[in-house]
Amino acid sequence: MRGAWKTNLCRRPTGCVRRPAAHIIPYAKAPKEITPGEPNYYTSAWYDGLEGAGTLVKTLEGRPIKLEGLAAHPMSLGGLSARAHAEILSLYDPDRLRGPVRNLLNKERTNKESVTTTFEEADGKIAEALKKGGVAIVSGTRPSPSLKAIIGDFSRAFGAKWVQYDTLPVEAVRLGQKASYGRAVLPRYRFELAKMVVSIDADFLGTLISPVEFSKQWSRRRTPGKDMGRLVSFESILSLTGMNADDRFRIRASQQLDVVLALIARVAKKGSLSIPAGVAQAAKAADGAFASLGLDEKLFDQVAAELAMARGESLVMAGGLPTLTDKQVELQIAVNALNSMLGNDGKTIDHDGAAYETLAGSPEALKALIAEMEAGKVKTLIIDELNLMYVLPSDSGFGEALKKVETVIYTGNRNDDTGSQAHWVLPAGSSLETWGDYEFQSGVFSIQQPTIMPLYQTRSLGELLLAWTQTSAQGSAKAKAAASWLEYVKATWKSDIQSKVELGRGQSFDDFWLAVLQTGVATTSVRRDRTGSARAFVGSVTYKPTVAEGYELVLYPTVQLADGRLANIAWLQELPDPVSKVVWDNYLAVSPAMARKEGLKAGDVVELTVSGKTVKAPVLVQPGLHDEVMGLAVGYGQKHAGKVADGLGVDAYQLSSFATGKPVFSGLKASFKKTSGRYELASTQDHHLMEGRKIVIEATNSAYQKDPSAGIHKHQIFTIWPQHQYTKHKWAMAVDLNSCTGCSACVIACQSENNVPTVGKKYVMQGREMHWIRIDRYYKGSPEAPEAVFMPMMCQHCENAPCETVCPVLATVHNDEGLNEMVYNRCVGTRYCSNNCPYKVRRFNWFNYMKKREEPLHMAYNPDVTVRPRGVMEKCTFCVQRIRRTTNKARDEKRPLKDGEIKPACAESCPSDSMVFGDLNDPNSRVSRMFQDKRSYKLLEELNAAPRIAYQTRIRNAVREEAPAHGQGHGGHGAVPAVKETSVSAKTAVEMTDMQHEGQLV
Amino acid sequence: MSSVTRKPLILGNKTYKDITDDICQPVEAAPGKKWFAMLLSAKMLFLFYILHIAYIIGVGMGLLGVNHPVAWGTMIITFVFWIGIGHAGTLISAILFLFRQKWRTSVARSAEAMTVFAVMTAGIFPLIHTGRPWLDFWLLPYPNQRGPLWVNFRSPLLWDVFAVSTYATVSSVFWFIGLIPDFATLRDRAKTKLRRMIYGALSLGWRGSARDWAHYEMLYLLLAGLSTPLVLSVHTIVSFDFAVSMLPGWHTTIFPPYFVAGAIFSGFGMVVTLLTLVRIGFPQFKDYITIDHMEVMNKIIMATGLMVGYAYCSEFFIAWYSGNPYEVYAFTNRAFGPYWWSYWIMFSCNVFIPQLFWFERFRRSIPVMFVVSIFVNIGMWFERFVITVTSLHRDFLPSNWGMYAWSWFDTAILFGSFGMFLTIFLLYLKFVPAIAIAEVKPVLFVGKKRPGHGGGH
Repeated sequence: MRGAWKTNLCRRPTGCVRRPAAHIIPYAKAPKEITPGEPNYYTSAWYDGLEGAGTLVKTLEGRPIKLEGLAAHPMSLGGLSARAHAEILSLYDPDRLRGPVRNLLNKERTNKESVTTTFEEADGKIAEALKKGGVAIVSGTRPSPSLKAIIGDFSRAFGAKWVQYDTLPVEAVRLGQKASYGRAVLPRYRFELAKMVVSIDADFLGTLISPVEFSKQWSRRRTPGKDMGRLVSFESILSLTGMNADDRFRIRASQQLDVVLALIARVAKKGSLSIPAGVAQAAKAADGAFASLGLDEKLFDQVAAELAMARGESLVMAGGLPTLTDKQVELQIAVNALNSMLGNDGKTIDHDGAAYETLAGSPEALKALIAEMEAGKVKTLIIDELNLMYVLPSDSGFGEALKKVETVIYTGNRNDDTGSQAHWVLPAGSSLETWGDYEFQSGVFSIQQPTIMPLYQTRSLGELLLAWTQTSAQGSAKAKAAASWLEYVKATWKSDIQSKVELGRGQSFDDFWLAVLQTGVATTSVRRDRTGSARAFVGSVTYKPTVAEGYELVLYPTVQLADGRLANIAWLQELPDPVSKVVWDNYLAVSPAMARKEGLKAGDVVELTVSGKTVKAPVLVQPGLHDEVMGLAVGYGQKHAGKVADGLGVDAYQLSSFATGKPVFSGLKASFKKTSGRYELASTQDHHLMEGRKIVIEATNSAYQKDPSAGIHKHQIFTIWPQHQYTKHKWAMAVDLNSCTGCSACVIACQSENNVPTVGKKYVMQGREMHWIRIDRYYKGSPEAPEAVFMPMMCQHCENAPCETVCPVLATVHNDEGLNEMVYNRCVGTRYCSNNCPYKVRRFNWFNYMKKREEPLHMAYNPDVTVRPRGVMEKCTFCVQRIRRTTNKARDEKRPLKDGEIKPACAESCPSDSMVFGDLNDPNSRVSRMFQDKRSYKLLEELNAAPRIAYQTRIRNAVREEAPAHGQGHGGHGAVPAVKETSVSAKTAVEMTDMQHEGQLV
Repeated sequence: MSSVTRKPLILGNKTYKDITDDICQPVEAAPGKKWFAMLLSAKMLFLFYILHIAYIIGVGMGLLGVNHPVAWGTMIITFVFWIGIGHAGTLISAILFLFRQKWRTSVARSAEAMTVFAVMTAGIFPLIHTGRPWLDFWLLPYPNQRGPLWVNFRSPLLWDVFAVSTYATVSSVFWFIGLIPDFATLRDRAKTKLRRMIYGALSLGWRGSARDWAHYEMLYLLLAGLSTPLVLSVHTIVSFDFAVSMLPGWHTTIFPPYFVAGAIFSGFGMVVTLLTLVRIGFPQFKDYITIDHMEVMNKIIMATGLMVGYAYCSEFFIAWYSGNPYEVYAFTNRAFGPYWWSYWIMFSCNVFIPQLFWFERFRRSIPVMFVVSIFVNIGMWFERFVITVTSLHRDFLPSNWGMYAWSWFDTAILFGSFGMFLTIFLLYLKFVPAIAIAEVKPVLFVGKKRPGHGGGH
């Protein structure tokens, strides 16, 4: 199953720049599954310690080049997050350690000298250390049956202790569940069953628990009409989820509990429900203090009434870093009480079926371990790929305690903050190089199948522990019998998993194993679509009104970097933050009102102080924040993560608190001092308003139900020219703006598929980013509490393409299937096409970006796509290489193409299935039907470029002032009607533009 | 009858020999220190220019401020600027010739030279502004073995290739034909063999016979006729680069006349700048290039300045009248957006400042006209900046909006191009008679009593 890796065969990507001759050495003995130029796909699984996904890995000549979401995996359903796509670059990261390293630490552990070593040498020395006892392993959550087994075996052999800790802890949810229902569990949230979702600072569409899965589920509720789901969010900072909310409240992070309790009281009143005894008192008290929350009471009551109506069909969720205040567990209990009251428990909250096995880390356990380390009880500490020195604030005492451990072993891929404090750095390699297995949700098993031989001298944790266990006399029989880690994994599957899963029934283990590798996932027979029973709520909350004063700091993870472990991936650093569109940095986000009040401007550097700890951070004026809340993203400010990440942004982890073993990331009392410093932030979008233009067309659900074309103005367009005839295919794409969440997975999918370079911060500031697809984000409404809309923007493949007529050398032309093609080797680079493109989706190679790609990153190139040289224009091709490959395949098989068989990279990875690609010549294709849909419109239709992308209006499931019905209230044709932006007063729009000009908004 | 006598076109009591001596003197005498100093500075600037061009070709267009969305920048702006400069020369030498404007004779030679050099300077830009300049020859429709793969005749950039190359050819030929009799004069006066050989070759065997003159004048007339439509067509086609696109702020029908008027305006501005300097450098030319000549040109500057002013206002009116919100925004943004300063520099320099020429005192003052002409040059560069950058930087979708990322290389390219132009112009002053000897002689007696004749002219 392993793909062989032959360096020489794939040394260079194809391209059209003259380069020195390279020699291709043929296989002496060709592996039979490899046909040069033909990709092989292997099922696998991706897990970054926070989020898991089933994957399909595309390999060419034994070289993995692209990850896709595994359609068969119940959590991925074909979608894949941006960070999962970036795993490819992680594999080829030039800054990875290429073999084990021994750090020669002095007593103070400040000596940075390190020598390379071998695993054999390390094994010998470590075996001695292990014999001394006092062994502990600290890792992220390892939802892996085989790893759990080997850690068990290892622990028994050496009396070791195992502690799991998540860098972005979700432990509060489990603790809340335990306090409310008696059992700690991370339930499966089921958004597809929820008509009404209320999120309390829970960024479930962006960063929380399993965003791809949640997006897939939630997109199913976004079909406009009677059954359309409604999302209301209560947020301190502006998250991706908040931007997708139909209604949104801005709250203080410290008042999350107050808000939920007040909501409980109001829901009980509206629905005549009884409040669980443990929270009744608190709810009543909080309701009494409602005025202190500063919320729109009318809307709040309406939300309460709607929740009361949607009993058993609603979902209230809190979680993630912004909810980790010092009342984090109470908040969860209150949320559970509300869900129980509404009868959601067991229905939209699945607690006994496929609950999550991920994010099981326990901060208390880590705290206890630190105490033991401090007491000198831990002699050998194995730190598994967790950069604890970076993610734990100094008040955790971890750094000091670590100095008391005799032997520290670190399995991270680089000699980073934690690695440099370890005696042994034994790099674990990439998940694409090693075997593994996962149980992301109870009963959902998948195999991490490697697709390449390890590039360097690396060993995964399983391999290390197996090797060390085998040196001990106490090792289990299973560990002793296993000749390799793969054998051990297989043995675990044979003994523990085969009998549990449906796929395992009635066949030999070898057949079962092969079947698992082919399907990529094996599940137990527990039906995921069943609903369970409700549990009795036994929790209780005491209420003390929150004193709302001063500024609060909320730390949060971003969609692109999450906890920062992938910070050295340039793709992710240059992925515009879905909320702010800023790249390559984090920043202190403040609300426009606060900026005005405190005299802050975007780019001002402030000294931020939280309980005595100070960092300097640049300011970004971010609409949508609570006026007394500041936001700062974690994951930045690393010093030893690699050439890409080092020195970018500020380290926010240091401002969190871990002193009590309860990680506090939010509601931190903070003060700041403006300094004279300035720091420019780079952003890919500099203007945030639609200026009254009909770009993202939005209508309310009620307007849609009256008129499915609500908000759309159809232009009467006539032409005296005959239209092109497309006899074979007529490719087109439909994009549903209503389900698109703006998560930006498509951007990285496209970057990976199409060899799109990154340019760096300096050049992003000069407007030189190269993304073929971008997510435009516009704000509507007041700058304080804006609504946001997203629009994926790529080449529109116009029928009357303006770019084509102006190219003097015919380098961009239309083909007979309706694609606007870019002929790189004909392009001279006049850039006239870009000037004449109304959508400005063309990208120019200002420099020779290919040359700047450090080896071995070039191995991630897709050989199906030309690597563009300097001086040529490029743009989205609708993944023409995929179209060709699939049409050729259908032709070879003498069959017509199936609808949906061709998926461009963006559409394939879309977690909300917002993009549909297909053939307009087939009247029954999905894309044809979507083009016919009343909700479809073409962007800038009046220019008569006749784009081949149809957008579908965004429907807001909220009560709003109605937009005028289409066809009314505007002048003649050819002119764009001056559209009244719903709920935007002219004054606020002007205000926002003014701020823009004053540089307050980046 | 009180005679409405014309003012004399040539001052001083010149004889034909005086004219020949005066005009040939700078070419025949050893150059002065000032000339050398100026040539050296211009050459250094030219070398500096070449260095930066080489660097841009070697490393990439990214060194300039061009970006997304502003994909055209300093190079295109300065290209249009220099092409515009060229127009005055052809207008003076061709159109004024056809209209029998005798005053043109004194300034025609230098104005034409300026045209040729400005077109040369301009011609560099389209070649180096492409992403892959080594493939520029693909813009020419020549038989090839790629299919054959032809150029896109629908693209205004291609029309530009034809327009500019035709213009460069015709104006060079026209200039050279006019030089033949003067080269022959220099040949005949030459004191060294080398001079005689060089000017002999350049004069193409001119003997000054009646036949020669008959052929010469016919050819000159025909070329004038051929050049006349070019004065209008070149800048019309350059304006198509913008007007044919769909960009708000570019897509306007007023562009061809507006561009031509602007070109003549800027061309005369540059002629005034250069000729005031020539008058200082070669005082004997003051008798030929008189204040009257300068005044006529200043009148044209004012007239064309009013035309471009009209065009600026008309653009706003049409944008409002069209009801097209993108168009309205594009123009509002020009005047009041982030690049408001460039718009008002343009407007002040091109519309307000030339109004000084309503006053005869200013029209006839060398320092005033010099300063005004410099402002006209600045204003016309900014006009192209406004058109190119402010239209591109904010178009249809606000998500694309951005700013031009002006860099050191933009500065170098802009000022370096003056180095190229000035180097060539200084060499021209040294090696070519800066006033057409053969043409000023026939107008010697305009406004004067002709010796041996009875009355006025």
